[in-house]
Amino acid sequence: MYFPKKRCIAMLLAGGQGSRLKVLTENTAKPAVPFGGKYRIIDFPLSNCVNSGIDTVGILTQYQPLELNEYIGNGQPWGLNKSHCCAQVLPPYERHDKKSGWYKGTANAIYQNLQFIERFDPEYVLILSGDHIYKMDYAAMIAFHERTGADCTIAVRTVPLEEASRFGIMNTLEDGTIYEFEEKPKHPKSTNASMGIYVFNWKILREFLIADEEDPNSSNDFGKNIIPGLLNAGHKLMAYAFEGYWKDVGTIDSLWEANMDLLGTSPAFDIRGDESQKISARNNALPSSYIAREAETVNCFIAEGGEIYGTVRHSIISTGCTVGIGAVVEDSVIMPNVTIAPGAIIRNAIIGENCVVSTGAVVGGAFAPGAKRQISVLGKNETLPENAVVTPGEVR
Amino acid sequence: MKALGIIFANIYESSLGGLTNKRTLASLPYGGRYRQIDFTLSNLSNSGIRHIGIIAKYNYQSLMHHIGSGQEWNLEMEEGGLEYLTPFATGHVGSYRGKLEALNSAMDFLQFAQEEYVVLADSSVVCNIDLGKVLQAHVESGKDVTVVVKDGVANGVKQLDLGIRLDPDNRVVDLAVDYCAGPEYVASMGMFVMRRDMLIHYVKESVARSRYRFERDFLLKQFGDRNITVGVYPFAGVALFNESTLEYYQNNLALMDAGVRHGLFRDGRTIYTRVRDRVPTTYGVDAQIDDCIVADGCRLEGKAEHSVFFRQVKLEEGARVKDCVIMNDCVVGQGAELYCVILDKDVVVRPGVRLIGTPENPIMVKRGDVV
Repeated sequence: MYFPKKRCIAMLLAGGQGSRLKVLTENTAKPAVPFGGKYRIIDFPLSNCVNSGIDTVGILTQYQPLELNEYIGNGQPWGLNKSHCCAQVLPPYERHDKKSGWYKGTANAIYQNLQFIERFDPEYVLILSGDHIYKMDYAAMIAFHERTGADCTIAVRTVPLEEASRFGIMNTLEDGTIYEFEEKPKHPKSTNASMGIYVFNWKILREFLIADEEDPNSSNDFGKNIIPGLLNAGHKLMAYAFEGYWKDVGTIDSLWEANMDLLGTSPAFDIRGDESQKISARNNALPSSYIAREAETVNCFIAEGGEIYGTVRHSIISTGCTVGIGAVVEDSVIMPNVTIAPGAIIRNAIIGENCVVSTGAVVGGAFAPGAKRQISVLGKNETLPENAVVTPGEVR
Repeated sequence: MKALGIIFANIYESSLGGLTNKRTLASLPYGGRYRQIDFTLSNLSNSGIRHIGIIAKYNYQSLMHHIGSGQEWNLEMEEGGLEYLTPFATGHVGSYRGKLEALNSAMDFLQFAQEEYVVLADSSVVCNIDLGKVLQAHVESGKDVTVVVKDGVANGVKQLDLGIRLDPDNRVVDLAVDYCAGPEYVASMGMFVMRRDMLIHYVKESVARSRYRFERDFLLKQFGDRNITVGVYPFAGVALFNESTLEYYQNNLALMDAGVRHGLFRDGRTIYTRVRDRVPTTYGVDAQIDDCIVADGCRLEGKAEHSVFFRQVKLEEGARVKDCVIMNDCVVGQGAELYCVILDKDVVVRPGVRLIGTPENPIMVKRGDVV
């Protein structure tokens, strides 16, 4: 087979468990978690790649990959199924010299797929992760990387100082040159948080990946090992400031918030926006939704295949859901193919795929303004019996 | 038992007026996110009939754009799959008058196919039917031709393409074409099953004598002359005949009925369509949507009742819509009021404009118009 040389290819780290999403990732890799009514988290980095002119994406999977693999398929929904490009799923594999096995860390995952990258002989490799909701033009970042002559460019965004100790913080000079990297510092010196998006000169990254693999004390991680290694070796690292919407949806609260950010007259994250930054998804053939006379649908998203007879306020209703008569859904995220029986009440909750919430059941509750919101969660495929109660903040 | 599928894309277009000015009947949008032909293609594909010829005479650009390679219907095949049979495509004849002449110009397609049977289908009737069962019933019946029929359609007013009177044992007693038959007749759904070699024989035989209409010049004549036997397959499910503008309007609004909706879409067989991958529909803070069918990608801020919204429609604040069919990418401006109106694609209704039709005579606004 002939592999044309690529200027830049992307490697998407999609193997993490996402344990902070609890029941939602019990049987599903985090990038395959539904989002925004019809999307899955991985749609965002994949669509960003395509919209940025990157047509070769290696997707590193490990944890519970069935659904994710199925979803990616041949890459057709994102236009990645042509003869000159691909969305290639890269699972861990066995090698003759036993120098392989489970991906030990983010850097090791890339190391184990050197062969894949080398086929395309790229100038640059873009490293992405599958747990963020954002629209970004990677082409602009790569142009910045080229212009500054950096060996590695890291996308950063400003976070509030009190939150900075949760992130990898880049301390930079005025022109964006990184002189110090601190992983989750107790006393952060700046507020430039790493977004986990890296552009590397492939030759240099390759060298460091091989060296990192030979170091038995390394945890084979980009943040902990590769980036500090490059800094210590005196390579040029640049911070690329990103101003747009970006959210790590690694927790129940942040996943709920990011969904809510889609709503409102001027949403915090406008998923419609500009066609050149369109987020694509794999679609199922479902009919248009039916909104009954008894229904009330206010300030919400309702995707295809819905049958809505109840009240839906400030919520996301995903594809193929039914909301029965007299049921109330408020401030909640309903994932695909959920049935909410007549009279059930759901407030401040995330309901996983294929759940059935029976008549009279109550999930979550209302919150006084200013009180801490506690999100109730129902995991995938759960059936909540009649009149059952899931208390605020309860996860089951 | 393998069958070839043939779809006739241009039927009834004269009685659909403006709706088929720039498209075939087959590509007429229906039910929020479908085109008429989605039902025919899905019915064939779901029944394992995946070698299909589409006979289209004119205006077929939008049809070909919609169907493309047929991938969405699982029809992108190594062998078989979809073939477009357009005039001049075969070099055989120019344009054609009726289905027999159209089939004659697709003679190579018919002759090179390997399938023993042929399923012929118009695209005017919206339904979700298991054609595998029809084929099986046809073979078991030993009849030469099986016509899929629906009762309760003939009412003495609607002109049927082909009306069939049956005896109590469902044997065909009378065939009538272009006839406003009474309720004692069942209506042909424009779907026929027969052997391929027999079809080829009668197409050649008819065209050689300048006979070109399938129902009149083949079925009725050869049945009358006792050359062929004709049976029926009574279809019990939902069948909507979109053969005039008024029927089209009523059949869209019929989707508000759960029985109709579930009969078409929740019968275990998926109706496929070309995916446009739009965002979910947004319901605004002041939206009031009652008894409506809503496709994806809409932005609804106003009030609507008993209406169908296709993809990407924008209903602005204060706009009111009742008993309307609004096709994709329309904009209904602030404070506009629409009652009993069909808006074809890409129509812009300016703020404050009022359009009032009646249930028997809905106002039809042409594609791309600004009112």
